[in-house]
Amino acid sequence: ELLGVQMRWFGFGFNAFGQICVQEKSGRGESSSAPHQVKISHPAELSSHVDRSRCCLKTSQIRVSWSRRASLHLEGEALVMCMLISYLARQTLIMMYEITESQYYFLFIFIDVNLPLVPGGYIALKPPFYCTLPGHLKARSLALGAEHAVLLTATGAVYSWGLGSHGQLGHGVLTSEEEPRVVEALWGMPMTHVATGGWHSACISDGGDLYVWGWNESGQLGLPSRELCCDTSTPPDEKLKEEEEHEDVFISIQAFPALLDVSSSCEIRAVSCGSRHTAAVTTTGDLYTWGWGEYGQLGHQTVTSSDEPQRVEFFRAEQMRVLDVVCGTWNTFAAVVKEEVACAENSTKCTC
Amino acid sequence: MASLWSKISPVLPANEDQFPLKFSDKVELSVVEMLQRSRKQLYGDITSSSRLLNAQIILDISWEKLNTGTWRHVDKEWRRVYSYGCLFKVAALCCESPSEDKILEAVRTCDMGLIMGAAIMGDILQVIVRILQSHIRTLSSTKEEDESEHAEVKRIKIESPLVSAIKEESAVLRIKCPSLESFKTNFLLPLKPVILEGIIDHWPAFNKHPWSIEYLRSVAGCRTVPVEVGSRYTDEDWSQTLLTVNEFIDRYVLNKDGVKALGYLAQHQLFDQIPELKDDIRLPDYCCLGEGDEEDITVNAWFGPGGTVSPLHQDPQQNFLAQVVGSKYIRLYSPEDTGKLYPHQSQLLHNTSQVQVENPDAERFPEFAKAPYLECVLQPGDVLFIPVRHWHYVRSLELSFSVSFWWS
Repeated sequence: ELLGVQMRWFGFGFNAFGQICVQEKSGRGESSSAPHQVKISHPAELSSHVDRSRCCLKTSQIRVSWSRRASLHLEGEALVMCMLISYLARQTLIMMYEITESQYYFLFIFIDVNLPLVPGGYIALKPPFYCTLPGHLKARSLALGAEHAVLLTATGAVYSWGLGSHGQLGHGVLTSEEEPRVVEALWGMPMTHVATGGWHSACISDGGDLYVWGWNESGQLGLPSRELCCDTSTPPDEKLKEEEEHEDVFISIQAFPALLDVSSSCEIRAVSCGSRHTAAVTTTGDLYTWGWGEYGQLGHQTVTSSDEPQRVEFFRAEQMRVLDVVCGTWNTFAAVVKEEVACAENSTKCTC
Repeated sequence: MASLWSKISPVLPANEDQFPLKFSDKVELSVVEMLQRSRKQLYGDITSSSRLLNAQIILDISWEKLNTGTWRHVDKEWRRVYSYGCLFKVAALCCESPSEDKILEAVRTCDMGLIMGAAIMGDILQVIVRILQSHIRTLSSTKEEDESEHAEVKRIKIESPLVSAIKEESAVLRIKCPSLESFKTNFLLPLKPVILEGIIDHWPAFNKHPWSIEYLRSVAGCRTVPVEVGSRYTDEDWSQTLLTVNEFIDRYVLNKDGVKALGYLAQHQLFDQIPELKDDIRLPDYCCLGEGDEEDITVNAWFGPGGTVSPLHQDPQQNFLAQVVGSKYIRLYSPEDTGKLYPHQSQLLHNTSQVQVENPDAERFPEFAKAPYLECVLQPGDVLFIPVRHWHYVRSLELSFSVSFWWS
C-alpha cells in the first residue's frame, strides 16, 4: 500500500444495508430504519471517510461481507460502518465475517499477522474456526471462497483444496480435495497474488498476467458465457440458432487456469473477487470489472452482467488513478488518488 | 370478477404479528433482517417494484447458499429462506392487478420454490399456485389448438421406430392380476421381473381423465418442470433445464421450433408438484408387501417423445414401472451378470453400464454379448416389476408417459 498518500475510496453495487452510502434525508445514525438505495451503479465516494474538519482520513484497508463494510484508518480509531463493535487499532484489518452463533459480527484485527493465515494454520469461515496447514508449504497468503481455499506459497506456487464441483480448484477435474494440492498448470510461473470468489479463483503472476478458473455462469471468468449470450427474451428458434453457431465457444466451467487478456499490453497489479464477479487493477491505474452485475457491482452505471472485462470509465473521466480494489459479495470498492498526486508520488512509491 | 389479490390475501396471515419468520442460527441475522423488511412491506402500502427488489435480494442470497456445497448437504433452512423469497416475490407480482404475463411469472416463481425450496407456512406456495392456475383458467380459453394437436400426435405415432420382434425365450413373463401372495412368492422373493396386467385399469388416468397432451396442458401447461436435454445422461452434451410443460411439449414433443435435440421430462416428482395429476393415479397394492412406509415411496413421472433413452443402470430399490401413454422397449439384466455389463468406475456413475445396449461396442465390451437378458415392449395398462438392483435399459418407441414407484 502507498503510505502517506490521501487515498479515497469509492464503492458501487449492493447497498441495502448502507454499506456504501446512506440516504441523506435519514439524518440519524440508525441505518436499519432508513431505506437505502439498494443498487448503486454509479461509483460513490465513501462519505464516512471524512473527519470533523472535512479532511479525508487516510484509509488503509477495507474489508467487506455481504451486508457490512469495515474500514481501518491509519493513526486512530478503526471506524466501522454499521458495526456493533468498534476497536482501536493501528495495524492491518484483515477479515470480516458474518457469523451467527453470537449476536455480533466477528471482526479480526491482528498485529503483524496476515489473516486468515495464523501460525500453524488459518482461520476458517465456519466452525471449526482454526484449521491446520502442513508446515512445509511456507504459506504467504490465503484466499477463502464459499467452499474452497487457494494458497500462495513463498516460492510463488499456488495450492488449492475444498469442494471442486465448479472447477474452482484448477486441477482440471470436478472432484474435491481434502488436502492442499498444487495447481500443476501454474507450476514454474511464480505468482504474487491469489483471490477467490464464491465459486471461482484468480491469481496474478510476477509478470502481471491474470489467470482465472472456476464457474463462469455470469461471465465472472471473463470468458464467453452461454447464460449471458442467450437470454430468455430471445425467441426460441433464434436463440437455438445462436447457440448452434457458438456451440463450441461457451464456457460454463473452466477447470484449468486460463490466461485472461484483461486489456492488451497492460499488467495487472491487484485482483479481487465477489461472489460472482471479478475486478482487476492495472499498473496504469485503470479498474476493469466483469461478471455478475445485477446490483451495479461492475460500476458501468448499468445493472447488467458482462462476460468481457470492461474498464470502469468513471475513474478515467474524473482523472483518478485506481490503486487497489476490494470486492464484497455483491459490491466493489476502489482505492484511488488524483492523477497529479500519483505522478508526484511516483518517486517515493513503495511497491508491496 | 374478483381480483387476483382478493383471492390470495386470505391465505396469507392476517397481519405482520401472525406471520412467522423463525430460523435456526444457520441463517445470518442480516438475511433475517431482509426477510423482516419484506414481511413489513407485505402489510404496508409499498409499491410492487420496491417489494420485488427486496424479494429478489432474498432469492439471490439464498440461491447462492443453495449452490454452496453439495445439494444433499444444503441446510434445509436455506431452502426455506428461498421459499420465503418466492412467496414475497409472488405477493409483489400479484398485488397490483397483474397482467397475464405477471401471473405466469408468479406461477413460475411458485414452482421454483416448490422445486428448490422447502415447504413453509403449511406449503403455502402449493396453495397459492392452485389459486393462480384457476385464475388463469377463468381468463383464457384455449379450444382452437386442440384439433390440430390431436392430428400432430397421431402423425408422430406412425413415424415411431419399430423394434424387432421379442423372442419368446427372452420375453418377460406376463401375468394378470395376481394375488398378493402369489406375487410375493413367485416374483418378489426370488427377485424375478414380471409384467402385471390389469392392475391399473381403474386409474382415472385411463377413465375419468384420460391422459393426453391436451389434458396435460390444461392441468399443468404453465407449470415449470426440470427437463433433461441430450441423447442420454452419460453423454458430454447432456444437460438439464427448466421449462414450462407447454414449452416442453411445443419444443420436444411437437418439435414446433425445429429443435434437433431430445428432451425428456424424467425422474421428476411431478405428482407432488401437481396434485391434480396425483389424483389420477393410485399406489399399486403390491407396495404394501414392502417394509417401508407409504410416505417413503418415491413416485416419479417420465414423459417424453419417442426415442428417449435411459442407459442400462440399476437402482437401490424395488420398482413398479406403470405405462400410461405410449409404449417403451425395455431390457433387463440380472445383478448376477454385473461382471459382463462393464459399470462405470466413477463414484457418480457406478450404477450405470458403459455399454450402449442397442449398439454395443464388441471390442471394448466383449463379454456383454454373453450376458443373458429379458426384454419386453411395455404397453399402456402394463406395470413392469423391476426387482431391486436389476439392470434395466429403456427406450420410448413413441410419445410416452410412465409412472415409476420406488419402494423397499
